[in-house]
Amino acid sequence: MIDIIQIIIESPFIQRALLASIMIAIIAAASGTFLVFRGLSFMASGVAHAALGGAALGIFLQDSGLVPWFDPILGALLFSILVAAFTGYAGESGITQKMEVAVGVSFALSMSFAVFLMYYIPPYKVPLIWGYLIGDILLLNDLDIIMLGSTTLLLAVITLMFNKEFVYVSVDMEGSTAHGMNARAYHYLMLIVSALAIALATKAVGAILVYAIMVAPAAASNELVKSVRGVIFAVFLIALFAELVGIAASFVLFVSPSAIAGILAALSYILALQIKRVRDRVDVEIDDFNLSPDDLNTTWNQAVANEHEDGHEH
Amino acid sequence: MMSTTPLIETHDLAVRYPNGALALHHVSFEIKSPSFMAIIGPNGSGKSTLVKTALGLIKPSRGTIKVMGYDSQKKSGKIRKLVRYVPQRDSIDHTVPVKVKDIVLMGRLLKKLPPRFATSKDIAAAKDALQQVNMEELWERPFPELSGGQRQRVLVARALAGEGSILVLDEPLAGTDVESQDLIVAALGRYHKENDVSIIMITHDLNPIHTLVEDVLLLKNTVIGLGEPCSIMDPELIKKVYGPTARIVEHSGHRYCMTHDSGIDRHD
Repeated sequence: MIDIIQIIIESPFIQRALLASIMIAIIAAASGTFLVFRGLSFMASGVAHAALGGAALGIFLQDSGLVPWFDPILGALLFSILVAAFTGYAGESGITQKMEVAVGVSFALSMSFAVFLMYYIPPYKVPLIWGYLIGDILLLNDLDIIMLGSTTLLLAVITLMFNKEFVYVSVDMEGSTAHGMNARAYHYLMLIVSALAIALATKAVGAILVYAIMVAPAAASNELVKSVRGVIFAVFLIALFAELVGIAASFVLFVSPSAIAGILAALSYILALQIKRVRDRVDVEIDDFNLSPDDLNTTWNQAVANEHEDGHEH
Repeated sequence: MMSTTPLIETHDLAVRYPNGALALHHVSFEIKSPSFMAIIGPNGSGKSTLVKTALGLIKPSRGTIKVMGYDSQKKSGKIRKLVRYVPQRDSIDHTVPVKVKDIVLMGRLLKKLPPRFATSKDIAAAKDALQQVNMEELWERPFPELSGGQRQRVLVARALAGEGSILVLDEPLAGTDVESQDLIVAALGRYHKENDVSIIMITHDLNPIHTLVEDVLLLKNTVIGLGEPCSIMDPELIKKVYGPTARIVEHSGHRYCMTHDSGIDRHD
């Protein structure tokens, strides 16, 4: 144990990886949870790929000398916000399917845009664009941590302040509006802050880890845990556990920590589905036991009586 | 109450569905306040659209609609302060693991500003509302686990728990069994009698509430009839709305409307 602490103290890259693990777990808990609640799990990959288009734009503008100060990360953030805004616009009526379609369309549009720009970017810079999707949690620098940290903080504060509103928007957007809440503003706020966090997290730790950590733990918790707060907390724990195991494994085996973390996160969902199925089966057996023939008889009689009444009234 | 401001007042209102088809046209009427009002008509007759337009959720393509004197477009904020709304049950998301208490408290907390903390008064009002629909034992139960009828009762409790002089309910009896239906109707009737509130209820079928209702608006994309329940229960009017197979049946002192389309209860 002391050995491990010694290693951590002596290796700044492990410290940064551990910090990033905590921050990614917070992002998953705050943002992934609500995306899954709203049926928008596709948004994580949509935003990450849209950011790719933005990064391509940034590299093009810098390289061509048109706008030298335009850092690729600015382009990535800009595009992720555009995706969130477009998705929000499509889903103003609160219909999930429309939002999924909007994510899909902006995904395709940004990727096409990225490929389009690749012809105007010198070939040796093209890997930079793809590099956007392949971050590694063990290769973070201080700037990555600061960027990721500030987004995480922003996301955490906003989610703490407005978690009730986010739940209301997810559950009953129309009813919330009718009662006088500015549901539309919270709807956009939630999507845009999530998109920013996803884009920066992708840059830092890579797309695969972000998809897996954003979606799978939230989906797993939502199958089993029966309160919003419980789900958020469970997501944090699952995500952190997967990442820490991933990092630890990468020292023992010759593997990428993201791969292990991604596999563990995905397995958590499969496990949750299985647990739920077993639990449901047990519930049914208990119900069957309670349904004695007497109960069934009364229910049957009532049903017949009601049908009879209905027949009169129609 | 000697109020002269009408509950709802429309002038030559026309509204389109999101797909462009005309949902309502040439709608002009006035309902006094306070009232227990029912909006009836077959599927696709523009009932929900009328209510959503009144709340400023949909923009009319022509004409105006006012609620308590406030224009639904320019003063929707004022209207929404007065309104407690029960949307169609299917518009409520079932994937979020909220508890019954969260849903009922929503009725009160939505009228507050963030951080919307629930005071002991809010909790007492929410519990009392749940009791009125006989659901107080399910306070801690996850809302998505309830049956259709139970969810509907919780949503009605959400409206009862809140504050505001107008209750708007969109098909609160759809997909409920007789027990839930009776409970909801009784709770609404009692609430209207004991409090100075107006109730606007969209329904497929007037029968369960026809003894409570004061004004009935019969819609089929425009106003077909407006009046007391008995005058609306007119064979000619009903035929006009529900088609030639609709009949009015007299049974033990009550008139019942028979249609293919509705019926007293739809069991899901």
